[in-house]
Amino acid sequence: MHSRRYRLVVQGELSDRVEAAFEGMTLTRDEGNTRLEGSVRDQAELQALLRRVSDFGLTLLSATTIGEETGRRAQA
Amino acid sequence: MSERADLRHGNEVVPLAEAKLAAPRLRAELVERPRLSVALDAGQGRAVTLVAAPAGYGKTTAVRAWCAARGAAPAWVTLDVGDNDPVRLWSYAATAVERAHEGLGRDALQRLSHAGSSLESSVDALMNAIATSGEGVVIVLDDMQAVEDEECLATIDHAVKRLPRAARLVLIARVDPGLGLARLRGRGDLLELRARELTFTPAEARMLVVERGGIQLGPDEVELLCERTEGWPAALALACIWLRSVDDPRGAVRDFGGSHGFVVDYLTDEVLASLDDDVRSFLLSVSVLGRFTPEQCDGVLGRTDSASMLARLGRSNLITRLERGGWFRVHPLLAEFAGSQLESEQPGARAAIHARASAWLRSHSLLVEATEHAAAAGDDEAVAQLLVENHLSLIRAGRARSLLRSVRTLPNDKLVEHPVIAVGAATAALMAGQSTLEQRRFLHLADRARAKHPERVGPYVEAVAGMVRAASVDGDVGKAVAAGRRAVEFAADSDDVLVAALAALASALYFAGELDEAWVVGLRALEHPEAELRPPGHAVARSALALVAVDRKRMGTARTHAEKARAIVGRLGTSRSWIGANASAAFGAVLAGEGDHAAADRELAYAEHFFRDEVATVHHAWILGVLARVRTRRGRLDEAEAALRSALDEIAELTDPGSVLAMVEDVGRELGEAKSRAADGEVLELPSTAELAVLRLLASELSVRQIGRELFLSPNTIRSHTRALYRKLGVNSRMDAVARAEALGLLGRPESPM
Repeated sequence: MHSRRYRLVVQGELSDRVEAAFEGMTLTRDEGNTRLEGSVRDQAELQALLRRVSDFGLTLLSATTIGEETGRRAQA
Repeated sequence: MSERADLRHGNEVVPLAEAKLAAPRLRAELVERPRLSVALDAGQGRAVTLVAAPAGYGKTTAVRAWCAARGAAPAWVTLDVGDNDPVRLWSYAATAVERAHEGLGRDALQRLSHAGSSLESSVDALMNAIATSGEGVVIVLDDMQAVEDEECLATIDHAVKRLPRAARLVLIARVDPGLGLARLRGRGDLLELRARELTFTPAEARMLVVERGGIQLGPDEVELLCERTEGWPAALALACIWLRSVDDPRGAVRDFGGSHGFVVDYLTDEVLASLDDDVRSFLLSVSVLGRFTPEQCDGVLGRTDSASMLARLGRSNLITRLERGGWFRVHPLLAEFAGSQLESEQPGARAAIHARASAWLRSHSLLVEATEHAAAAGDDEAVAQLLVENHLSLIRAGRARSLLRSVRTLPNDKLVEHPVIAVGAATAALMAGQSTLEQRRFLHLADRARAKHPERVGPYVEAVAGMVRAASVDGDVGKAVAAGRRAVEFAADSDDVLVAALAALASALYFAGELDEAWVVGLRALEHPEAELRPPGHAVARSALALVAVDRKRMGTARTHAEKARAIVGRLGTSRSWIGANASAAFGAVLAGEGDHAAADRELAYAEHFFRDEVATVHHAWILGVLARVRTRRGRLDEAEAALRSALDEIAELTDPGSVLAMVEDVGRELGEAKSRAADGEVLELPSTAELAVLRLLASELSVRQIGRELFLSPNTIRSHTRALYRKLGVNSRMDAVARAEALGLLGRPESPM
C-alpha cells in the first residue's frame, strides 16, 4: 500500500501543544493559518485525521496530496 | 458509582451508564436565545430535527433550553462509539423514553431483553406506545456523529418512518448523520438548525459577556470579540471566564483581536493560566475522562477532594453537571485542548489516566467502558484481559460488532497470546457475516497459538474454533463436518460451547447431504438444558432442522423451526447478520416448499445479500441454487438462469461443495425443461385483451381470488380466462404460462431483477 503526503490547511495559528494531538504531522504557522503536513497511510487514517480536525473545532480550509511515498516507509 | 442501572440481555447483564441518559443541566446565567427556541418550535409537525454544527456551537444547550421552555422532559440519550450496536442503542433510547413518560418504553424494553422478538419489532413497539398515548414525546439523540454503524442507522431510519405525528426525533451531531436526509428534506419532514443559526449575534454576545458576565466592555470591544471568535459560542464562553480573571478586560480584548492564534487554543491558554496550580492540574486530568463522577475522579486520580473541586470548577463554568446521577463532564472542546496541554507538559500522563480509569471501571463492572479506556491507554494487554472476561457475554447478547471493534485494536501477536479472544473474534466475525476472510485470519491466529502456546489452547478454544469452521463451512463441506465433530467432542468438556457446536455440526451435515444425522444432531442441540440461554447456537440449530424438514417434506415441522429461528435472530440484533441470513434462508426454503414462490423469492433474495462475500462460500452457492429453483417455478426463467450461473461460478471455486453441487445440477435440469417448454410449439392464437390482463396478474403472486378482485371479475371468470390462455399458449400450468408469455414478450419488463 502506498502512503501519501497530505497537506491540510486550517484557520488560525495553532500552538505547539496541538502538535502532539496530530502525531506525525508537521505544523507550520503562516499568516493566521496553520499547515499540517505529513504522510497518511490510507483512507482510514485520513478520515481519522479529519476527525481530529473536527474534534478540535478547527475550520478546514483545504486538504491536498503533495506526493506519494513508497510502501516501505508506510509500513515503518 | 452513585447510580447505575442494569439492562438484562437474556441472562447477561450489560451495564447502562447513567450519564448517558442525563441531559446537561442548564445554568442560570445562560443567555436566553429565544430565536433558537422559536426556530425549534417551528419543527412541530416535522418528524426529524437535525441540529448539526461543529464542536462548541451550543447545540446541546439550544436543545436543552428549548425542552425546558416546552416544560416537558425529553427522552435524552448521549451517544458514544460504543452505541454502534443496535441493541445497546435502542435499550438506551427505550429507557430514556420510559423515564420521561412512564410506561411508554416498557413494552420495547421487554422485547429487547427477551429472545423471540426482532429489533424492528421493539422499535415498532416503542413507536406504537408513543402513538397510542398521544403524548408529544421528544426523543433527543445527542452526539449522533458517534454512530456510524450501518445497522444502527438502518434502525433509526426505520424509527423515523414509524414516528407518530405528535412525537419528534431531535438529532444533535457534529457531522450530518448517514440517514436519508435528502428524502426527509424533500418531503418537508426535516427541520435543520445549523452553524449559521447557532452563531451568536453581537446582541447575544453583549448579553452573555456584559450583562450576564458582568464584564465591562464597550460596544466596539464586544464587536471585536464577536469578530475574532466569529460568534463561536464555545469561544465566547471561554472568553468570559478569561476576561473575568484579568484586570483590564478592554485591553485584553484588544490584544486578543490582534493575535493570530487559533481562538480556542489562545483562550484555553489564558483560562488555564488564570487557575491556581491544583485546580489547573485537576482540570487537565479530568479532561481525559470524558464523563465522570466525583467518586470516579477520587478513585482514578488518587484524591479525596474531587467533589469540592468539581463544585469550584462548576461555578466557573469550565465543567458541566449532568442532570442525573451526579455526573460531570468537561466541555468536549476544552477537553481536547486541555488534554493535549497535559500531554505536552507530562508526556504519558494521558495514557496513565486512561489506564487507571479502565481499572476503576472494571472494578465497577463497567466492562465495555473499561475496554474503551484501556484501548485509549494503548494498553493491549488490559484490552485483552477485559475481552477474555467479556467476550462470551457480548456474543450471547448478539453484540458481535462491539466485540469486533475492540478486537481490531489489538495486534496479531496479542491474539496469538490469547487464543480465547482469537476464537471469540472468529465467532463474532461469523455472526456479523460477510467477513469470511477476517474469520480465516482469526482462526489462523488461533492455529499459531496452538504451536506457540499449546498450554493456552484448551478444549474451549478447540471447540469454538471447530464450531466456527463447521458453521461457516467456508469452501469445504467435508472439512466442516470433520471440524464440527471435533468441536462436539471438545465441547463435551466445556459446556459453554456445546449447543453452538451441535448446531454447527447439524448445519454442516445438512450441506453434506447427511440428513438423518443432521436431524439427530440438531435435536440434541435443542434438547440441551441451556439451549434457550444460547441464542446464537439455538437459532443455527433451528435453521438447520428447518432445512432438513423441508427436504423431507414435513412442512409443518419445518415452519415451526424456521419461525422460531427468525424470532431468536430478531432479538439478537435484527436479521441483518449472517445468523439472520441463515434464518431467512431457512424460512425462504419453507415458503418455497409450501408453494409460495413469490414470498420465497423475496425472503431468499434478502438472505442472499448477506451471504455475498469477498470469497466464494458453500452457503452462497447453496442459496443461489435455491433462488434459481424458486424462480424457475415462478416462470421467471431469465432471472433463474442468472442465479443458476452465479451458483455455478461459486461452486467452481469451492474445494468441496457437498450436496450443493447435486442440488444445483438438479435445478439446472428443471430450468432446462422449463425453457424448452416455453420455447416449444406455436402460439395457436393471441390472447384477447381481457386475457392479457389476467396473464399479467398470473405473473404476480396474487391468488385467483385476488386477481378477480383486482379486475372486478368473479373467480370463475378468471378461471375460464386462464383455461383459454393455457390453450392459446399451449401450456398446462400457471408457471409455464408465465414463462411462455415472458419468452414471447407478452409481459413487458420483469418486475424484480435479481
